[in-house]
Amino acid sequence: MTVSKEAVMSDAGKPAKRPMSPRRKRYLTALGLAGLFGGILGAWMQIAQSGASPTDLAMLSNSPLTPNFAMGASVIWVVGMIVSLILYHRSVDDHEERAYLWAGTAAWYTFTLAAPTWWVLHRASLAPAPDVMLLFVGALAVNLVVWLWLKYR
Amino acid sequence: MENRLKVLRAMRNWSQAELADRLDVSRQAVNAIETGKYDPSLPLAFKLARLFGMQIEEIFDDGFKGGGDE
Repeated sequence: MTVSKEAVMSDAGKPAKRPMSPRRKRYLTALGLAGLFGGILGAWMQIAQSGASPTDLAMLSNSPLTPNFAMGASVIWVVGMIVSLILYHRSVDDHEERAYLWAGTAAWYTFTLAAPTWWVLHRASLAPAPDVMLLFVGALAVNLVVWLWLKYR
Repeated sequence: MENRLKVLRAMRNWSQAELADRLDVSRQAVNAIETGKYDPSLPLAFKLARLFGMQIEEIFDDGFKGGGDE
């Protein structure tokens, strides 16, 4: 269906704001929910961390956490990720899906190269014990860079 | 793959955002197709062809010059 140019012009002669498509609404909802869940987790973790200075960033620490927080955060993480990802994958277009898939592949390769290498080096006492969160953050960073490059270059 | 999307869009005086809205994709997707950084999927190529009232081959050129029975 085509819409004439006049149909999208307001009375003032400026282009009228087109209504948001359902796909875009779902997309923004997915991003908003992911941000909300992440924000809640980050703030709650900052409050719940024990044995560390209040100025230390809990997300960058391995300090102890309370069992209640750990259980609650796990539930929020799993449920939040599942809901957000279902909405996200139902709303991305071809182009972004391709960026997502290549970014995920690059992240997986990063993990595949780094984890076993670190593990064998540690077993030979040539490196400290592998840190799962460091591996996760490294893979996530590669994912983000590749995704941004393919989507916005 | 080369394509005439930018020319066809300009002929209709549409912005990238306007074309993206009509195709229900992001503006970045339209830009990536126009600049040849991304080849659309077959469903999106059909959608483009229907929108412009053309055959897919009239919009996209894969460079094939053969004239045989293939």
